[in-house]
Amino acid sequence: MTSIANTGDKPAVKRREFLKVLGASTAAGAAAACGDKPEKLLPYLVSPDHTVPGVSTYYATTCRECASGCGIIVETRDGRAIKAEGNPDHPVNRGALCARGQSSLQGLYNPDRYRGPMLRDGGELKPVSWDQALQTLATRLGEVRSRNQAGNAVFINQHEQGSFPAFLDQWLAAHGMPAHLSYDAEAPLATMSANREAYGVAWPSLDFTEARVVVSIGADFLDGWGHSVPQQLSWADARAKLTDAPRAVYIGARRSLTGLNSDQWIAAKPGSELQVVRALLGAVGRGGGVSIEAAAQAAGVTAESITSLANELRAAGSHALVIAGTTGPDARAVALAAAEINKALGAVGTTVKTADALLAYERINTTAQVREAVERMNAGNVPIAFFRGANIAHTLAKQTNVAAALGKVAFKVSFTSVKDETSELCDLILPDHHSLESWGDAEPMRGVLSLVQPTMDPVFTTRATADVLIAVAKANPATASRYGFSDYRAWISSRISGGDTGLTSALPRGLTNGSALAGAVPTARLAASASQAIGGTGEYTLQVYFSPTLGDGRGANKPWLQELPDPVTKVLWQTVVEMHGETAKALGVAQGEHVTVRTAAGELTAPAYIYIGIRPDTIAIAAGRGHAGYGRYAAGCGSDAYQLLGITENEAGGWALTQQKATVTKASALSRIVTTEGSARQHDRGIARAMSVGVLLGTEEEHDGEHHAFTGDASHEFLPGLRSPVAGDAQGDLVDPKSKDQGLYDPAHPLGLAKRRWAMTIDLARCTGCSACVTACYAENNIPTVGAPWQGPVVMADRTGFGANITRSREMAWIRLERYFEIDREPKDVAFDASFDTRFVPMMCQHCGNAPCEPVCPVFATYHAPDGLNVQVYNRCVGTRYCSNNCPYKVRYFNWFGYGEHDRAQYAFPEPLHWQLNPDVTVRGKGVMEKCTFCVQRIREAEHHAKLEGREIQGDEFTTACAQACPSRAIIFGDAASDAWTVARAAQDRRAYHVFEELNTFTAVAYLKKVNHPAARA
Amino acid sequence: MATTAQPDDMPMRPNIPRAGVQLPGVKDYEQVDREIGRTLNPTKAWFGGLTLAVICMLIGLTAVTYQVHQGLGVAGYEPPVMWGVYIITFVFWIGIGHAGTLISAILYLFRAGFRTTVYRVSEAMTVFAVMTAGLFPILHTGRPWKAFWLIPYPNWRLIWSNFKSPLVWDVFAISTYLTVSTTFLYMGLIPDIASLRDRETNPVRKKILGVLSLGWRNSEREWRHFGRMYLFLAAFSTPLVLSVHSVVSFDFAMALVPGWHTTIFAPYFVAGAIFSGFAMVWTIAIPMRKWFNLKHYITLNQLDATAKVVLMTSMIVGSAYLIEFFIAWYGAVPAEQEYFYNRVFGQWWWAAWIMLTCNMILPLSLFSQQLRRNTTWLFILSLFINLGMWFERFVIVVPGLSHEFEPWQWSSYTPTIVDLSILLGSFGWFFMWFLLFVKQLPIMAISEIKEIIPPKMKHASAGGHH
Repeated sequence: MTSIANTGDKPAVKRREFLKVLGASTAAGAAAACGDKPEKLLPYLVSPDHTVPGVSTYYATTCRECASGCGIIVETRDGRAIKAEGNPDHPVNRGALCARGQSSLQGLYNPDRYRGPMLRDGGELKPVSWDQALQTLATRLGEVRSRNQAGNAVFINQHEQGSFPAFLDQWLAAHGMPAHLSYDAEAPLATMSANREAYGVAWPSLDFTEARVVVSIGADFLDGWGHSVPQQLSWADARAKLTDAPRAVYIGARRSLTGLNSDQWIAAKPGSELQVVRALLGAVGRGGGVSIEAAAQAAGVTAESITSLANELRAAGSHALVIAGTTGPDARAVALAAAEINKALGAVGTTVKTADALLAYERINTTAQVREAVERMNAGNVPIAFFRGANIAHTLAKQTNVAAALGKVAFKVSFTSVKDETSELCDLILPDHHSLESWGDAEPMRGVLSLVQPTMDPVFTTRATADVLIAVAKANPATASRYGFSDYRAWISSRISGGDTGLTSALPRGLTNGSALAGAVPTARLAASASQAIGGTGEYTLQVYFSPTLGDGRGANKPWLQELPDPVTKVLWQTVVEMHGETAKALGVAQGEHVTVRTAAGELTAPAYIYIGIRPDTIAIAAGRGHAGYGRYAAGCGSDAYQLLGITENEAGGWALTQQKATVTKASALSRIVTTEGSARQHDRGIARAMSVGVLLGTEEEHDGEHHAFTGDASHEFLPGLRSPVAGDAQGDLVDPKSKDQGLYDPAHPLGLAKRRWAMTIDLARCTGCSACVTACYAENNIPTVGAPWQGPVVMADRTGFGANITRSREMAWIRLERYFEIDREPKDVAFDASFDTRFVPMMCQHCGNAPCEPVCPVFATYHAPDGLNVQVYNRCVGTRYCSNNCPYKVRYFNWFGYGEHDRAQYAFPEPLHWQLNPDVTVRGKGVMEKCTFCVQRIREAEHHAKLEGREIQGDEFTTACAQACPSRAIIFGDAASDAWTVARAAQDRRAYHVFEELNTFTAVAYLKKVNHPAARA
Repeated sequence: MATTAQPDDMPMRPNIPRAGVQLPGVKDYEQVDREIGRTLNPTKAWFGGLTLAVICMLIGLTAVTYQVHQGLGVAGYEPPVMWGVYIITFVFWIGIGHAGTLISAILYLFRAGFRTTVYRVSEAMTVFAVMTAGLFPILHTGRPWKAFWLIPYPNWRLIWSNFKSPLVWDVFAISTYLTVSTTFLYMGLIPDIASLRDRETNPVRKKILGVLSLGWRNSEREWRHFGRMYLFLAAFSTPLVLSVHSVVSFDFAMALVPGWHTTIFAPYFVAGAIFSGFAMVWTIAIPMRKWFNLKHYITLNQLDATAKVVLMTSMIVGSAYLIEFFIAWYGAVPAEQEYFYNRVFGQWWWAAWIMLTCNMILPLSLFSQQLRRNTTWLFILSLFINLGMWFERFVIVVPGLSHEFEPWQWSSYTPTIVDLSILLGSFGWFFMWFLLFVKQLPIMAISEIKEIIPPKMKHASAGGHH
């Protein structure tokens, strides 16, 4: 472990200041010790180097939650990882990190991880020692080899980048076993295969900043499809441009998050995408063979919409970008045709950058190959099978009958560290380290080696799989000679230029030059196993999609991800059947009433959810929930959408998720929809505002019809809340009457109390609604998740089960993402219309200069701090909740139960999840109010650092957790009273406005209006 | 109302209101002592009632204990509806507590004689209602064991309560009101306690009553002081009647929640409080006059008079409802307009219509003198008014919070069994005290009734001289 050490000379600390800090930390320590029970503080006997109690150490490593390989920096405190943030130096994610990446910590500390090796004994998995486990593995391997069956072994690994796959193949080869299968259910195999054929690389990087028109055909590139963080970064940079920002068009039966962020939605019927894209191809000069009229007819859309899109594409020329990520059986053909359009327009090199290709999916195997392996198992031909992270018993269970297949394998070994459905079927569990405990590497881009290093000692008695393999190989005289190195770290450092020294010096940045891709195995091109059309019978087409938060289901055991509302539907802890209001009317169901969906492959009953962004002839269900096992947060939560799918594969060997027609019938039950949404529309409240790009560029008159001027509408000059009339009032009589203008915030204030006004701008032109900020806030501020059944109000029979608290709106997210549709009636009453606009607004405490919550608190538990913060003192809070009543933004959250009290059923951080808790932030007990603090602990930390170093805080020196994580860089935080900070300039933007300005709250948060790009008038 | 027939030459004590009431069925002092004294004998029905009240109270107590242990999540709160049944019930009981002081103090100052036989009951009702109401702000907090922080007391942290907060005003208003109304009740009781003391045979009770009567000897000097004190306390209580519920209304009016933030709340709440308080007086007094055989004390004339007060306050409250709608329309604040629409025709139509029917429409029946003098109707109406006034507070608290500025946070509200148990417990608690009271102390002011009836003369010629 090598931390990012501060090598600069320490500034001299004055004795007096040292004593102050000492006193303050002693007091803090004493206060922290005042719990219910006396607890023992065990100091290190010998303190490790670089570890100072109470001071964080940071380790650069690589995120392994999906294949992308984003660089992360993990903050550790006293030997425990507490926060994962993007690595600003990393070329893939440039400091941003999605919700799933941040939740890696909850994988690390998951209470349902295997605590050590297990062996099946008498039908049950029982803990054994590592020696015994390794001995068993060696014996079994020996048996297989002696019977000459090693060639039939199967090793299915969760797809990952870097040198481990090659290392694994070497080991397998040394034991006479075939190369492993690298499996990732989420990988868009069709697009990759088409890209290889069209561009020569699997994943060219997409440069939205160069684009003038972006067309996405079913590709949710902002949310989970491909590499969403780099795609979002580029998208936001492009959309935030004043001139030449791209207009975006989304083609698909269901409007995904990308669809909602696009300016236009062409709601093509599922299965018709190929004709649409071929018609476009024909229109740009390559014979597509399909006329626009025929395509429009097939897609159920107007011919004009396709014609004008074709015109736009032609006009954009090399600045067009067409992305295809459909999930039908013909997905590869669609992606290929889309790539042909880019090539025909000359966009390759401008918007499609093959030179900067992302290598995440190199050496991946197809779902078809994995299916074949399972079929071999089922045929009884596999003597031994290994699984590592790949949970085929969830994703492929129904289609391939994994349970029966595994039953026919004599010995199954799992290296998976969590109790997923697959490992529960195995005979020997050799739990791997979590990626945050492991050594490794990744090569996200050519020549960039992103390192994986342990950020802490293992939480449980696990062992890195690579080290297990080495130990097994060393124990066997036949293979020992090839494994001369001590462990996997030594093996990695031997492959890095500079060896061990090179590795050590590269670790602080987490990056080095080099390549890990030794002998990539080209993906086999398979013939399609089924027809290219959507099969089955029924009135509706079923579209299954991977949950943006849970992925293919691997996120389901992490409460942060379960509690993160889906960015589109805002549903959490629940599986719903999405349908249009017209469909629901035709079926006679209301939202929440259960429907039974039947396909040729299976059936599923779940509550209906009305979504205006889906064609009336289509229904959609998110995959990812409905686990049978996989830990306390996953098991039994929601239903399993995979059950509805058969084995239909596209030409690239990828599994088609849109493959079945379905019949839908009303079932008898009724559930509350577990959602954070109150009303789906703004009711003209002017919360999420937008302006047309024409107005911004001055080519169009502004007619801000959507936000009616309220009586008493305060003028723009109050930005950014500096001149609150009561700013001085916070200090009562102490304020200087002469500094009336800026009150307390006057830099020349004689008391010198307030030199700052912490403020924030949120650019709605950038914000995509992806919700990474929400998870960042949970991680930073110890926010409890409250959706597990045992956390619910047990006295209400109708409100138990997963999401019970959420159905009573008791979610605790300090920052929430509101998703408003611009419609004039309730979603259930909206006739199908593809032209609705959607606005996303991150809403958190606005830190009002004139805060309505402050005067009503009877005990000063919430008050105004001199630096403009609206402070909540948990210890002082009595819990009258008056502050929340009086808050127009409704950003205050109450601890209805003792979510933070470890001896209660509702405890949100069961051991060892509580190891993640940020020691700088209080864990709140029951009965107190809480809310966004603008990450006050970070502010104070920066102030203390500056003071210790004898300087002022620099502009943009630090930022809040939400702003840090934001993959679209929509949030800017800082001191609005000082020009040194970016936020002071950003707040002057002419798009800036305050929410509910007319209430004279003088908020510290300025939103910048969303910019819409309507189609050019013909 | 029946007019007075007191002859002008009747000897009058200073400062006792001219009793504009006739009690033809009450002949002499002995009858008063006998009939009122009889009410103090416990009966089986009384024991039954007390048992029921205690059981209800214990149910509530169990719910409170469970809630304090588990957290407020066991109640039906659904953010942003952060206040619910407890605050509703708090305002409801505070409102009930208003009629008592109004009857005993304001009507005293106005020399409204019809108060004489009902004021003791209503004063006791006031004290117990305020005792009930005062529990709710405490048990509605997230950390009730810290509720004493609302009281400004000297402490080493040098933190006081926030005097800007209407909740702190509540603390003062309610504690003042409880103190003054208790004192007032006790003051009025002193001569009666003395008369009970004189008739008491049990030595322990006699001792206690002796202490409580403060050695009252029925002297002229004592009466003079008593009258002065009573007048002073009546004058002192009068502004409290108006201020306490005004302060309670500020809990809402000072907030900027649409539907709360209105200047009309103070008079509207006071009128509503008097309205509900009189209804509760009926709920208590009508069965009481029947079961205790006191129909000739609480006469139809008096009930008729109270019915007129109820009719008037109902119309005040009703016009306040209508003015709210008008102002919402006239003020043109969209959030407020949508809120009022939602209140009456949207999500909460049923609650709003219960309120409008019970408080505005049904009391209009009191324009009929026949119904004003029909005790059965008055009793039924009083139950409707109690229900309607509870729902008035529901309609203020819940729909306002559930439908605020931020549509994304709109929600709903359903009380749970815990909420309802505590509501039931509050009635148990109130009636437990009340039932204990009626068997310990006289429910009518014996001394004041005696002032109404013609004094017994040595020479049996009525209207004679001393």
